[in-house]
Amino acid sequence: MRFSYTHHMPYTGVTEAGQDWPVANKQFDPKLGVEMFQRYIEDKIYAEQAGFDWIGSNEHHFSPYGMMPNPNLVGAVLANRTKRAGILQSGNIIPITNPIRVAEEYAMLDVMSGGRLIAGFMRGIPHEYVAYNVSPDESYGRMAEAIALIKKAWSSPEPFGWEGEFYQFRAVSIWPRPVQQPYPRMMMSASSDASARLAAEAGSSAGFLRIVDFESTRQQIKVYMDRARECGWTPKADDVMIGMNCSIAPTYEEAKEILQAGQKYFFSVLGGGIRTAQQLVIQKTRYFKDKGAAEKFAKKATVQREASFDERVEQGLIVCGTPEMAIQQIQRIHRELGNGRMNLSVKIGNVADHHVTRTLDYLRDIVFPAVRQLGEENDPAQAAE
Amino acid sequence: MFKEKTAKLGKGEIKYFVGGTGRPLIHLHGAGGVRPNAGLEALAENVTIYMPVLPGFDGTAEIAGIDSMETLADLVADFIDKEIGEAADVLGLSFGGWLAAWLAVRHPSKVGQLCMENPAGFRPKDAPAPSTDPETRMRQMYAYPERLPKETKSDKVIAKNLSMLGHYHGDTSFDEKLASQLGKIQCLTMIMHGTRDGRVPEEAVQFLKRDIPRSHLIYVYDAAHSMETDQPARFAHLVADFMERAEAFLVNQGTTSGRPQQVL
Repeated sequence: MRFSYTHHMPYTGVTEAGQDWPVANKQFDPKLGVEMFQRYIEDKIYAEQAGFDWIGSNEHHFSPYGMMPNPNLVGAVLANRTKRAGILQSGNIIPITNPIRVAEEYAMLDVMSGGRLIAGFMRGIPHEYVAYNVSPDESYGRMAEAIALIKKAWSSPEPFGWEGEFYQFRAVSIWPRPVQQPYPRMMMSASSDASARLAAEAGSSAGFLRIVDFESTRQQIKVYMDRARECGWTPKADDVMIGMNCSIAPTYEEAKEILQAGQKYFFSVLGGGIRTAQQLVIQKTRYFKDKGAAEKFAKKATVQREASFDERVEQGLIVCGTPEMAIQQIQRIHRELGNGRMNLSVKIGNVADHHVTRTLDYLRDIVFPAVRQLGEENDPAQAAE
Repeated sequence: MFKEKTAKLGKGEIKYFVGGTGRPLIHLHGAGGVRPNAGLEALAENVTIYMPVLPGFDGTAEIAGIDSMETLADLVADFIDKEIGEAADVLGLSFGGWLAAWLAVRHPSKVGQLCMENPAGFRPKDAPAPSTDPETRMRQMYAYPERLPKETKSDKVIAKNLSMLGHYHGDTSFDEKLASQLGKIQCLTMIMHGTRDGRVPEEAVQFLKRDIPRSHLIYVYDAAHSMETDQPARFAHLVADFMERAEAFLVNQGTTSGRPQQVL
């Protein structure tokens, strides 16, 4: 089992739950912001020392939810300050960004890190489309075209132009080219049927990041695997990444108390404005191609809101408790889903930074050594079928 | 929109179709013969398209002595002389793109600007041969088969059209003689390749871009081999813009040009 560490870099100086979108930045204290950035960067670098295989950075806009409108800036720091870990950009929100810019910056990161980039192509969450004034209806179309264009920019040795539906470029020749040829390894979210198929068609690894139960996740993995085979390739266990929140402490009660408080802050304080824009986008646009996908998205939100913390731990949807419990939980997830990779989010909302470090230490010293062998030779399709 | 005419050339007569408004553009057809479609009709709003029916295609007679790509290129040069009277822009699809390159090599003074649309003739030896399985071939040819105009040709004519390819180029898939002379092409050239084209490999268009001196390679997104029917608007806009603005087609005209421009 391989592990990825993602940190949203939230601004935790906000104390009141607001519902307005976008969130007014008058609440941002620059002095506190400087301290947080320094701390968060060090946390990410420490994740490599704690044995994580990848360190993730992601893009969000106009909210204290995450202070990384351009995760490539953070990726550049990590490329320079780390030696071994993969630099997971999870990712750039492709449909709202200039794809040539993404191709260039990702190529830079790949070269700067000596070929350690994992190029994340994300569709983003709905409110990002309001932030960058891009029609959510065009989300899937832009995503598919931009990925094709970026791959061409990475791999074409000769200058080329592009005549597409959303993008037109007459002369492209990026410098530098990526170290990994023909493309850097890719990672895409596969949380809906449409995105699972798109990830398979792109030849990308797939992240299942907001899972609500094992059965529906197995089905989602199957969609990804089946489509990949139709496209002529077979993903390995290592291509299937399951995302979970994680908290480890000497007792379950302590780990739970800390994470539960962090989640409450995350949803009620950091997530308020985002939900307002999200509801508007989902209700008024075709961000989701079909009604089923919209319902699935709504169900995930409901499950996260309504199921008790203990129920979700019991269902295997959170890694929480003592180190020994965490080992069993990770083993169970692998048994159920056949994944070879997990993304662990430890800094949830305002979870204290010293608890983040402690959890990383437990993972390094006790958990990782016990689960490393999982998924090395497994085919996730066996679990999915 | 396109009217049928006859051209009397030095070696014999050929049929051609002409229509549109603006400067002349010679369209050299592919293996299917002349087949007007939405892409050509859109393009004809900006240029006058001349579509010669190459001898032996579409039920026409072969012409004695016209039995190779070189002699066929000479015939097209004669057509330009007789029907246009000055250098003309040339657009060739697949087999026609291959022929257009021969024309530009052998008769540089007859060609204004050159467009090669999914050009055949440059398949590397190690590239897989095009599929003969009907279903696969269909997918390689057409991203959107439902956009094809209704076929009006008989099975016999269609079969003869295909056999004419061998008549002109034998079983050559990589034209080494032409490849060695691509550096002689001096006209401004645009090589167009559909991102879903399963008949012409990526390596072929990369090779052309590398060896033709003043060339631009443009990928047309979500088009297979039949670019004119798969993406008629993109095809027509791109060709018209290239013909009209030449090298300057690289430069964004802004939102006041009346042409579609991307936002990002």
